[in-house]
Amino acid sequence: MSDELDRIRREMHAVLQPPGVRPDDSLQITRRTFIHRSLLFGAASVGQTFAWWPLLNTIDVAHAAEAPFKFAWISDTHLYERSLNTRFVDKVVRAVQEVQAMDPPADFLIFGGDLAQLGKIEELELGVELLKDLKIKKYYIPGEHDWYLDMGKKWGELFGQPNWTFDHKGVRFIGLDTVSRGPDYWTAKKMTPEERMGHMATLDGTVAGAWAGVGREQLDWMQKTLADWDKSKPIVIFSHNPLYEYYPPWNFWVRDWREVNDVLKPYTKVTNIHGHVHQVLYNEIGSMRSIGMLATSWPWPYAPEGVPKLTKPMIRVDPGDHFDGVGWETVNVNADDKVDVEYIMWGRKEVFVQTPEDHDKSIEEVIRPRIADNQYPWANP
Amino acid sequence: MINTSTFLCILRRSTVAGAIVAAAVVVGPASANKDPVTPKQLKLYQEAFMEEVRKGDLLFHGDAAMAEQLGVKLSTTGWACAMCHPMASDTHPHAFPKFQQSMAKFATLRDMINWCIEKPNQGEKIDPESEAMKALEAYITWSNTGSVLVPGKY
Ligand SMILES: [Fe+2]
Ligand SMILES: [Fe+2]
Repeated sequence: MSDELDRIRREMHAVLQPPGVRPDDSLQITRRTFIHRSLLFGAASVGQTFAWWPLLNTIDVAHAAEAPFKFAWISDTHLYERSLNTRFVDKVVRAVQEVQAMDPPADFLIFGGDLAQLGKIEELELGVELLKDLKIKKYYIPGEHDWYLDMGKKWGELFGQPNWTFDHKGVRFIGLDTVSRGPDYWTAKKMTPEERMGHMATLDGTVAGAWAGVGREQLDWMQKTLADWDKSKPIVIFSHNPLYEYYPPWNFWVRDWREVNDVLKPYTKVTNIHGHVHQVLYNEIGSMRSIGMLATSWPWPYAPEGVPKLTKPMIRVDPGDHFDGVGWETVNVNADDKVDVEYIMWGRKEVFVQTPEDHDKSIEEVIRPRIADNQYPWANP
Repeated sequence: MINTSTFLCILRRSTVAGAIVAAAVVVGPASANKDPVTPKQLKLYQEAFMEEVRKGDLLFHGDAAMAEQLGVKLSTTGWACAMCHPMASDTHPHAFPKFQQSMAKFATLRDMINWCIEKPNQGEKIDPESEAMKALEAYITWSNTGSVLVPGKY
């Protein structure tokens, strides 16, 4: 681990995890979670991560919901134009059909960003066309792939304000824009919009830098939005990026997670649901729970370091099956104060790692950042 | 954040082609292995390697110009290697050769690279002896520097 990452992680631990602080203690972890059979495996490094971690799809989050309801999440469809790649189209069609077929129906859909791959008008419009078949109410937040060709112009025309809030059956929902406040890496280097987008669209690129963030004015907006909300009532926050620091080189974080925590600290029932990581992820930050969602397009591997200890990893996927390791999610808010997140991973009954060998980190690796994108013509002469 | 600038200084594109030729002259057959290696020689060897790493990095990240320069078509789907393997993670060059389940055969890293080109990427598989293959191998192994050899591991 780099010294800088190590320092940030220790700081985050000190700031966010003071002794004894956990999400609201009315949160219940079910008995069957404790007796999961992964406990039977030995003390290998991968085995350790099994310990007692809750199964995501049975996690119980306390809620004061007035009536039970479900909503669905789809994100990271990364659509190319139809003529180039029909696979990603097929997967969106499948997700849409399955959400539409939910019975009882979902109250609404959250689209969690990265609708397009290269931010093109045709890609975004294709996404709208495919999602049109879904008749329930839809809410959208942007991903970086949607934004950096025209700086959100087309996205705004299609979907309006990127951050928003609404109340539904006793829960306050907030959608955040964590992508539009990247540092300007393009002007000084006189990049074309396509070049700017190309760097942003490369997860392991080194040029776009620490682009993920909430921003002061949006934090102020969030604080104002929550000012009239009872501290013990449930809040669900949607963001493209996770609201803590997992792996900055891939922007698996927001750079202002400290400020986010300052705003949310007084509230005891906060759940953050995010995309961007294309993988099963679970973490607790102070009193907030954070849950990472699958992409429909392709899975990212877990980062070389920083995977939250509370994450029970998803299974290593078959690269020969493009429906493996991807899918969508339902979130079920029960009358008896529970929220269940269910991963619908196509081609798998068992989403989670069952043996150490099922984990993509069963082969230990040491990984370096790339070099070529930082050289001529991007490097200073 | 991790600083990569140290690599930049040794990769001035214009000097590298000349450097490889010079390396061949400096280490020509007559003097091979007979004199202690000089700092100049070491620098040239390193530059020759890093130039292939650079080319492999670009190929791996779907750079169209580099693919054209080396005469390869690694994908027709828009997918690039790095979309499943950011920083060449999860490529596990240190675990090859091994029985590879997806191909149902005992395979080398080069076999695996060609499988990914043909299957997920739907590109055209490349000559295992080609510069493109060596460049991809150079980038993947360089990016995994420090990983411990575990040949055969699933
Ligand atoms: Fe994404
Ligand atoms: Fe993203």
